[in-house]
Amino acid sequence: MISVKGLEKAFGTNLVLKGINEEIEKGEKVVIVGPSGSGKSTFLRCLNLLETPTKGEIWFEGQEITAPKCDINKLRQKMGMVFQHFNLFPHLTVAENITLAPIKLGLQKAEQAQETALRLLNRIGLSDKADAYPPQLSGGQKQRIAIVRALAMNPDVMLFDEPTSALDPEMVGEVLELMKELALEGMTMVVVTHEMGFAREVGTRVLFMDEGMILEQQKPDAFFANPQNPRLQDFLSKVL
Amino acid sequence: MVPGLANIFTSMGDYLYEGLIEQDRWLLLLKGLGNTVIIALFATLIGVVIGILVAVAKVAASQNRKLRWLGMLCDLYLTVIRGTPIVVQLLIMYFSLFAFITNAIPVAIITFGINSGAYVAEIVRSGIMAVDKGQTEAGRSLGLTQSMTMRYIVMPQAIKNILPALGNEFIALLKETSVAGYIALMDITSASNLIRGRTYNNAPLYVTALTYLVLVIGMTKALGYFERRMAKNDQR
Repeated sequence: MISVKGLEKAFGTNLVLKGINEEIEKGEKVVIVGPSGSGKSTFLRCLNLLETPTKGEIWFEGQEITAPKCDINKLRQKMGMVFQHFNLFPHLTVAENITLAPIKLGLQKAEQAQETALRLLNRIGLSDKADAYPPQLSGGQKQRIAIVRALAMNPDVMLFDEPTSALDPEMVGEVLELMKELALEGMTMVVVTHEMGFAREVGTRVLFMDEGMILEQQKPDAFFANPQNPRLQDFLSKVL
Repeated sequence: MVPGLANIFTSMGDYLYEGLIEQDRWLLLLKGLGNTVIIALFATLIGVVIGILVAVAKVAASQNRKLRWLGMLCDLYLTVIRGTPIVVQLLIMYFSLFAFITNAIPVAIITFGINSGAYVAEIVRSGIMAVDKGQTEAGRSLGLTQSMTMRYIVMPQAIKNILPALGNEFIALLKETSVAGYIALMDITSASNLIRGRTYNNAPLYVTALTYLVLVIGMTKALGYFERRMAKNDQR
């Protein structure tokens, strides 16, 4: 579904991604872990071109998204993204946050989009917040709404960029729970996170990144029980 | 006692009568006020349109190397307009660039609009820059185009934040139109000065000052109302 070939990304002279090759299949839940500054988020943000790669190719559903003539807006509709800081639109109500893109992009009529939004809010138990504004919500509520906002676009893959890192500890659970549900429904997911429990439980494959490279990747059991790379061993000894 | 002051204290009624009522002079002031309001109103509209366009163009140019020429064009506009006095701009527009238009009012509207646009542009640009980058990223990640993201997500938040600064600019613009008399145009300031010149009576000047004051207080109140309305989603 996603194919990355020789991906490099430099900020000025600072080479953040040093040649990444990766295949992500439909239905996989790929979890990316690694120390901060290792390039995990940059890698994830390259997948929907929030960062423009310096070198290399990225293919999504048979199209090269790094090609100049590619209509990235069209492809992004199929790639949902969830951010560390939620990035809900504070000037719009919760329902408007969810319906804005489907309506403005002409995918759904207003009533239809409103129905979808209420159904999604119902699912996460927040239908009473439809007319509230984001600043009135807790972090956990905001992030769950950010997730369903992405779901309203009916994406084929969901990208999560440290979705629980900005949350108070007691709110991490509710967000992870929703992500688990998505995983069970078969959503293809790429998740950058520090939640090792989530990686172990939900991931179908775990990647370890450090200094702009993928140093090791394994099924979760092997990844945690039998790490090969010394840097990964060192990393796991610190976080587990 | 100073004669002027004595004049005011001893025969206020006569003084006002001569300056405002005699020969229906208040009509002249009223006509001037009408022109002042028309010029300020339409110049504000032009200024806001130019300001938003230039601000968006500058932001777009800073993100896209292919649009560098557009950024330079905007910078040229901002430098020239903010670097020269409004009176000089007004004279050049009326007597040179738009010499073929004899009616001074449209020329004044265009000149003040172009002038205000430069200031509004920088205010709007600061507002756009102050909106968190994550907002743009969230919009783009949903598949919205750059212009949709600007229009539906960034701009509404930017406008809300810059409302006080914009209000300042609108107020400054209203008062700046008092130099419109330089191009043979009867705004309220030049009307009152005309009466003063003919009658040596200063009452119209005070009435004019009072009129501006009332207009500005009204604008301040209106802007406060909008600020409160736009802050409605801030309550936690």
